[in-house]
Amino acid sequence: MHPLALQVPAEAGSTDILAVANSPLVWACALGVFGVIFVQTFIYIKAARKAAPAVGMSTGELTRSYRAGAVASIGPSLAVVLVAIALLALFGTPAVLVRIGLIGSAATETASAGIAATTMGATLGGPDYTQQVFAVAFMAMSISGGMWMLATLILTPLLKRGGHRLSQVNPAAMAIIPCAALLGAFSMLAVAEMPKSGVHLITLVVSAAVMSGCLFLARKLQAAWLKEWALGFAIITALVVAFAAHAA
Amino acid sequence: MTTNIQTRTGSGMAGFEATTSRWGRITMMAGLVLSLIGPLYLVFFGGLDITAGHIWLAFIAVAATFGIFWIMEPLTYFPILGPAAMYQAFMIGNISNKLLPAAIVAQSSIDARPGTKRGDLAAVMAICGAATVHLTSLLLFVGVLGTWLISIVPDALIEVARLYILPAVMGAVLVQCIATMRQLRPTIFAIGAALAVQFVLVPLVPQAAMGATAITVVATIMLSWFGRDRSAIHTTPAEEEPSDAARDAANGSTAEEIR
Repeated sequence: MHPLALQVPAEAGSTDILAVANSPLVWACALGVFGVIFVQTFIYIKAARKAAPAVGMSTGELTRSYRAGAVASIGPSLAVVLVAIALLALFGTPAVLVRIGLIGSAATETASAGIAATTMGATLGGPDYTQQVFAVAFMAMSISGGMWMLATLILTPLLKRGGHRLSQVNPAAMAIIPCAALLGAFSMLAVAEMPKSGVHLITLVVSAAVMSGCLFLARKLQAAWLKEWALGFAIITALVVAFAAHAA
Repeated sequence: MTTNIQTRTGSGMAGFEATTSRWGRITMMAGLVLSLIGPLYLVFFGGLDITAGHIWLAFIAVAATFGIFWIMEPLTYFPILGPAAMYQAFMIGNISNKLLPAAIVAQSSIDARPGTKRGDLAAVMAICGAATVHLTSLLLFVGVLGTWLISIVPDALIEVARLYILPAVMGAVLVQCIATMRQLRPTIFAIGAALAVQFVLVPLVPQAAMGATAITVVATIMLSWFGRDRSAIHTTPAEEEPSDAARDAANGSTAEEIR
């Protein structure tokens, strides 16, 4: 590496994603977001402790709630970890930590990145997935995630004042539109993978099959944990099959 | 005596609300800014030849797909989470699959109804607990262990993972989405629209590939709306996956006499 190149050593056409994805400033910002949430957690716990006696809650009940939340989230958190690790090669650690681990979810963030890459005429993870495409995808994910936070910042005080009357404007529309939008988005993103190559198609089918199997078993065996882990299992199994098919 | 307790109750919870809405907003704004600095830095100072046009195009395509959820999700979760937890939930993420279950488990373990003050405090504490576990496991297993894993795994393996991660994610996510919604008509419309766009529209008009997802989303919404089962009664906006308990909680808190 050039000793004078203090900035990110980058060329728009390079496919060495991790070289830019792991730049120190990106790391620092990612750790900063973790720091902010830790601070928030600390402030909230302090505030809850102060308010608890007034609403007839004991310190024991507060601790029990905290512990219940912590225990309940062990499974889901580790499931997120598994998915996040699978995505490291695509986005690098800091972007995965913030976008998939925290603010967003694997599904929406990977989808956003894929959509952004398509607008550049590139495929996420493909041979044309350059540093430039990565940066645009990362930016698009981050703005989209930012809009969720912005909406929360704007809507929460409004809703607090007016209750949640807004959501009762048209129950049919509120039930159908988001449902249709999500189904439409993920149908298209899945279908778009089909014609790319035989291995893409196999990977897609295996992933869908593993998820179906997990959801079926989860219902039959009343195993809620399996639902949380299903995405991780499906991704890993599909990648293993992809690796075998790719080598064949 | 009674009045004394009442004022104490008021000031106690009012103090909590003041603190959490003030610091909730401040921390969320800080999180928002920090989460944008990284990509902005790469875009402007990474030397990657990125134009404003690139960003706008990507943003519009993403907005056309997910824009509706920026508004819908805060509206959906507010009645279940309460104002204070909103600032936590939308920063920690994984709301429906982790934070809501955590909040509901905590509320039921101390017999607090969602939408009451006790329920709100229990939810906030549960989310604090979930946040602690989640942040720690991410830092440890992804931040430290994951980075190490990436450094020792052979390049060929990484290459394959990168090449096929998208179909590996989307196949499962689509199935999960269909299973969660349990809505036959929109599912058929969505898959039909996607197939039509991919195998009819895009071959005819290659430029449409750019907005394929947005086109499918709009088409699915229109088809699902005009082709909806008009005899069905919709009560709650069921969107990602509020569990049954969460859905009940959302229904239960419609009578908002307490907050």
